[in-house]
Amino acid sequence: MINIQDIRDTARDMLAKGEVRAVIGYRRGSRGMLAEPAFITDPEQANELVWDPTCFHNLSLYLVHDRKFLAHIRKNPNAPVAIVAKGCDARSIVVLLQEHYFKREDVYIIGVSCEGTGVVDERKLAPHLNGFQASNAAFDGDDFVFTTAEGEKRLPAREVMADRCLECRIPFPKEHNAVFGEDKTGRQLEAPFAALTRFEAQEAGARWDFWSHHFDRCIRCFACRSVCPMCYCDECVVDSITFPVTHETTAEEKANRIRWIERSATRSENITYLMTRAMHLAGRCTDCSECERACPVNIPLRLLNNKMEREAREQFGFEPGASIGGQSLVASFLDKDPGDFIR
Amino acid sequence: MEKILDKKHLDGWIAALAEWDVLGPVLEDGIWSYQTASGAVRLDHPNTKQSPKELAFPQREIFFKFEQIKGEPPKLTQVVPDAQRHVAFGVRPCDGRGVPRMDLVFNDHVEDNYYQARRKNVAYVGLACNKPPSPNCFCLSVGGSPVSTEGLDVQMTDLGDRYFVKAITETGKGLMTAAGKLFAEPSAADQKQVKQVHADAVAYPQRAIRNPDGVPAKLKASFKSPLWEELAQSCIGCGICTFLCPTCHCFDINDEVQSKAPLKGQRVRTWDNCQFPDFTMHSSGHNPRENTGARLRQRVAHKFQYFPENFGMPQCTGCGRCVSECPVGIDIVTVVNKVVENAG
Repeated sequence: MINIQDIRDTARDMLAKGEVRAVIGYRRGSRGMLAEPAFITDPEQANELVWDPTCFHNLSLYLVHDRKFLAHIRKNPNAPVAIVAKGCDARSIVVLLQEHYFKREDVYIIGVSCEGTGVVDERKLAPHLNGFQASNAAFDGDDFVFTTAEGEKRLPAREVMADRCLECRIPFPKEHNAVFGEDKTGRQLEAPFAALTRFEAQEAGARWDFWSHHFDRCIRCFACRSVCPMCYCDECVVDSITFPVTHETTAEEKANRIRWIERSATRSENITYLMTRAMHLAGRCTDCSECERACPVNIPLRLLNNKMEREAREQFGFEPGASIGGQSLVASFLDKDPGDFIR
Repeated sequence: MEKILDKKHLDGWIAALAEWDVLGPVLEDGIWSYQTASGAVRLDHPNTKQSPKELAFPQREIFFKFEQIKGEPPKLTQVVPDAQRHVAFGVRPCDGRGVPRMDLVFNDHVEDNYYQARRKNVAYVGLACNKPPSPNCFCLSVGGSPVSTEGLDVQMTDLGDRYFVKAITETGKGLMTAAGKLFAEPSAADQKQVKQVHADAVAYPQRAIRNPDGVPAKLKASFKSPLWEELAQSCIGCGICTFLCPTCHCFDINDEVQSKAPLKGQRVRTWDNCQFPDFTMHSSGHNPRENTGARLRQRVAHKFQYFPENFGMPQCTGCGRCVSECPVGIDIVTVVNKVVENAG
């Protein structure tokens, strides 16, 4: 069991000694039990940090935000940023390091092991709470314990855990500066890609119907892209301005800019957007599933990303974010690549 | 007009509205949304994920189609919204109050033909909230109430095995008259019960914005507050808060070109969103709202300062969607309270 006080002490000490300029972690939000991202710079605030089953956010997104902000004000970091990272989050950080988004010494990884469980899926939890809202969530061995107005509600974690946690192969942040909790790698509650395998057992026609239905439902709020630490491009194909504008850019160039994807939330545009995103995440997505959690209309985006992840694994034995020294999938070539698509 | 409708007659009432496209809340893919009623309508929803604003202000509106053969004058064909009448059942009071606020926006200075063409064909049958359907409801803090009739054509109140149904507008009366025989006169006991249910609903504890009357002035004084950046630090810049909001109405207009020779395409209006980083991007590359703090301030101040200044009422109706659905916990109730408190 992780004692949150240990994480708080670590954060406080590092901030007090000036070893890091901020600690990105989780604190209790103002809506019920849910944790929210916390950006702590004052050692006295380190006691706000929490670690519970609602710490689902992949905070490595904020390392990207920080980097973009520093570039904008043209400053170099004067000290590293510390970040609380679960197994999947730590692998995201490794991918960002592989892609040279920042340097290893710029980040201090406070690893947290998901031990025997993972994070909760609010959609799975809701029916268990009889319409009540929980005010607190806690880990307790293989259970989650929720506090509601009706009293304490104990549930086996696996009943309300996020799918990605059930299938997680690496619940321990291998890359870290400090780490809390036991390494329970191998505890896997469901086979890897179990949800994808179930989905793919269907006929092609049924799969097309499924995706057509969901692509039609996308409202193009871009929460999936915005919450994703891998979606850091300065110029995204879906934005209205998809190229940098300078003083030399002519009006005609601006007017004739290429619009790969129109703003209309229609099937063709939604497919182009969501498929482009899935392709760009191949070999980079570490299955943190934040896109699927953030989606306000419940589009099962994880299936798309899992598909690409499994392709990379089966074709090239590739595991995203496995080690900093490792190459990124799309920037590497191996002699043993089968290349059997070339005829 | 006040009547009693036995719950078993709800479907009969809906069937009597043959010339209307009747929409009811449907739970599909884990979310509630308004969909054309194809069978029984059940009004046991909390609130829908998206507000019913899209009935008058769809996410995508085609204004006109254009065509031009080189050397010839362009040919424009206006696209007129269809004249089908829509009635939404189960509209919560906060969403009902969103309607007149949208009407103000699309009828002030300039009458928006497309909005008005749709709006005049939409009716809203409300359902009072006997208790707050979301833990993040705060309608009482923005001049609303769980039993408000503002913006609605009919208000229904759940009395267990029957509904107390009250016509608010002439359109509402017409909707009820269409199935006149199904309705009964309310007894004195019914009147007493509905009064009690409404009183209980208003007394139910909700989240609260403190001293709401003082908010506009305090926000005005807080334009340069460093708090905005702090409160928006976790903002990811997505469109959830605005797209789900019953009163957010910003839009973009684009020419969607389908072919270049001959030139062929359409001019389309789509929802836009003040939280997108490129929303205020100038063609020079300069962005006056360059960080999430400035963008969060815009959304909050629009709801709680600019709209009150322009129209004498907050634009927010307290539905709580932006609070519940924000992926990173940005909570407009907390934001307003903190900024106001900080203004002293």
